[in-house]
Amino acid sequence: MVLVCATSLPGSAQKAGESDGATAVRVLEGERVKAQSHNDNRTLDLIFDNAVVHIENGEVISKGDYLLRVKSAKPQQQQIVLETMTVRTVENTAIVVGTYRKPDVQGGKSLLKRWRFVDTWVNKKGSWMLVAAAAVPLSK
Amino acid sequence: MLVALLASVGTSAGYAQDADSDAEAKILATEHMWGQAYVSKDPKALERILDDAFVNVDSDGILQTKAEVVAEVRTSTVVQFLTESMLVHLHGNTAIVTGIFQLKGVDRGKPYAQRERFVDTWFYKNGQWVSIAGLVTRIGQ
Repeated sequence: MVLVCATSLPGSAQKAGESDGATAVRVLEGERVKAQSHNDNRTLDLIFDNAVVHIENGEVISKGDYLLRVKSAKPQQQQIVLETMTVRTVENTAIVVGTYRKPDVQGGKSLLKRWRFVDTWVNKKGSWMLVAAAAVPLSK
Repeated sequence: MLVALLASVGTSAGYAQDADSDAEAKILATEHMWGQAYVSKDPKALERILDDAFVNVDSDGILQTKAEVVAEVRTSTVVQFLTESMLVHLHGNTAIVTGIFQLKGVDRGKPYAQRERFVDTWFYKNGQWVSIAGLVTRIGQ
């Protein structure tokens, strides 16, 4: 379903001057956030390449471990709010840089933590697949 | 006939494997050059390694362009740069490298040391591998 969406895009999703590939990736980033918020591992499984590398909190997480974590997480812990996002494509590869907010608990206190992320997507046989996702907490 | 077909498949798979290990070796060597550029304060090396549209996110979440990273190398205070646990994931003409770097340096007479995890994206362009994006994060952050 997600892969179909990525190849037939609504006109409104496309930013002026943006390539079709960049728009497809932008849409998939949105789908990914939505899937994560709904513990929707099936969609994430389709979006993630089998060799995807996740780096969060300084640790490398495999696809299997990441999906397990999403499945067992409380939905409110997965409520990611995308703030900014730029997509740049180089042939069949796309680099996405942006920021998001995500709930976190520090010292028993709930707070919204801001992160900057870099995602790498590769178009494989017509479908954009996420091959790397890394994020760093913003110090300010 | 079948033997010939299998032999041909074997050769082609072997060729692909050789090409992959050759690409991995080249990327790892370039990662090493990248680290050494900080020790030798060699901006020219980085000019070749980084794509013009390269972007990096440092461990404080600050976004850096190629020009900013090259400028950082010019004024580098790093005296030792080592890498460990590097892994290359090839996706055709794109590669993801994860690893850990350890650096030691001296800034205004004060020695410092850092050990951080990185992820770099490489792209095969005009006959060479160039880095198009990177991110550095504190281990266990």
